Amino acid sequence: MATSSTVSLPVPQVRKPLSFRQKLERFLMQDGILGYLFLLPALAVILGLVAYPFVNAIVMTFQAKTAGAPGRFIGLANYAELLRNEVFLRTVWNTFVYTGLGVGIKFCIGLCMALVLNQERFCNNLFRSFLLIPWAVPTVISALNWRWIYDDASGLINNVLVRFNLIGESISWLSDPNLAMFSVIAVVVWQGTPFFTMAFLAGLQAIPKELYEAAEIDGASILQQFWYITIARLRPIFITVVMLQTIFTSSSINFVYILTNGGPADRTQIFPTLSYNLALGGAQRLGMGAAVSLFFFPILVVFIYFLTRRMLRERED
Amino acid sequence: MTLSMTTSRRLVKGVGNLTLLFLLLWTAIPFYWMVATSLKHDREIYGYEATLIPQQPTLSNYSRILQETPYLLFLRNSVTVAVGSTLASVVIACLGAYAIARLKFPGRALLARGLVVTYLVPASLLFIPLFAIMSALRLTDTLHGLALAYLGADVPFCTWLLMGYFASIPVELEEAALVDGCNRISALVRVVLPLALPAIVVVIFFSFTRSWNEFLYAHVFTSTNQARTITTGLAIFMNEDVFFWGPLMASTIISAIPPVAMFLILQRGVVQGLTLGGVKG
Repeated sequence: MATSSTVSLPVPQVRKPLSFRQKLERFLMQDGILGYLFLLPALAVILGLVAYPFVNAIVMTFQAKTAGAPGRFIGLANYAELLRNEVFLRTVWNTFVYTGLGVGIKFCIGLCMALVLNQERFCNNLFRSFLLIPWAVPTVISALNWRWIYDDASGLINNVLVRFNLIGESISWLSDPNLAMFSVIAVVVWQGTPFFTMAFLAGLQAIPKELYEAAEIDGASILQQFWYITIARLRPIFITVVMLQTIFTSSSINFVYILTNGGPADRTQIFPTLSYNLALGGAQRLGMGAAVSLFFFPILVVFIYFLTRRMLRERED
Repeated sequence: MTLSMTTSRRLVKGVGNLTLLFLLLWTAIPFYWMVATSLKHDREIYGYEATLIPQQPTLSNYSRILQETPYLLFLRNSVTVAVGSTLASVVIACLGAYAIARLKFPGRALLARGLVVTYLVPASLLFIPLFAIMSALRLTDTLHGLALAYLGADVPFCTWLLMGYFASIPVELEEAALVDGCNRISALVRVVLPLALPAIVVVIFFSFTRSWNEFLYAHVFTSTNQARTITTGLAIFMNEDVFFWGPLMASTIISAIPPVAMFLILQRGVVQGLTLGGVKG
């Protein structure tokens, strides 16, 4: 115990007043402040490149607007005109067929591919790498390549079919109104299947082997094991992947634009290509183009809502 | 049960191998056609003398696109745009992801949600207003304008992916660094980033290949060769009949090499990233 007068206690040193720099630094290093500072660029990107253009798109749909000129407010006229337009109605149907078949077939082949690649065999890693390559190839390049494969006069398919006398004259894969849509979907499937495969493979590899062993002891057949273990375990991945792919397949312009640009006679016209053609292909009706995209946005909102919830929840687990 | 376990197992194996064979052919044939066409003379490509296997292989298609077309310019533009937007989005994403994963401040959860939503909004919904905005700002037909536009898709995705990785790094390591006198920034740079390096490489892959492969923005926002990237450049070659399939196939092969090579090298990480992030196909 220190007694009062005789021993001088070390007086707590008067803190040197902080310099402005140090004060600033201390202020900025608070979690709250630093958090916003760190997020500022990302936030600017989100607001400037997604949120603002999005609001802009909505406003545009109520306007008669061409590029470079200010828009004139016309209420719901764009939407009304679209609903009366036969091409638009055909486009709605096309988009459903295109997305439904595209995602459905990609799903089935992707699941087969994943199951096959999940088996053990010689050089399996090599096969896996190879089968996934189409996903890494730029979609424009796949589309160009397939356009050449489908070529009327000298494309691979007609070349082979004619050479071996399987058909008399060449088939117009991309300009026959009854075939064009299926030809385009085949390309979508070729390029997009590996994405499903990768997602499913990751899911398959996460299933504990013990489950199968236990099922086998209980006398479950291979089919039963497949249904009650494999498929049951993959279900959450199925849902996420299908929703993601529905959004991105229905909104990707690349394949249709390169292969047919909506033709023949709008048989392959889908929302993105119609939107592009109205807004930038000649007539420059930006409002109409935006209205096409906005029309199917309500469906997207549902998907986006559920996906966001799923993705955030999966993170928390 | 009608089949014994070993028989049905053998059956599954057989069906698997057969399916694999079909899948390999389905995947390989378009690639074969691409390569074969690029190695043929015109006379083997068109008409009655058309061949399935190049009889007199030649590299003339490759030299033609390099010497007679602006292909090299497109290639340079693609590299510039992809590298620029990748660097920017990785830096922005590291900062943002760290803030959301580690710092406590109001509005954090909302921002995380906002990131997912923005990542899911498709480009086909945004290109018309963005085109109007870019025209107004005189950013159309420039490389930096295009790189900027790509941030809209890259930043949300990269941030979202990195958030997951950052959250999986034990907090204790960072707390130790903070006790030892690091501040948040040096803790991020010295502790978190080195540990997250594999994730950052994957993010670089996604960001780079997305920009490299992107077509819609590149097509809409550029109107001269000075700013065209490979994807839109090739589409225009095709539409304008500048040249035809031999040289076109040669240029598609060259253009596909960078993303495919990156993918093959980083495959394991990419698949992991997909499961963590869910990705744009």
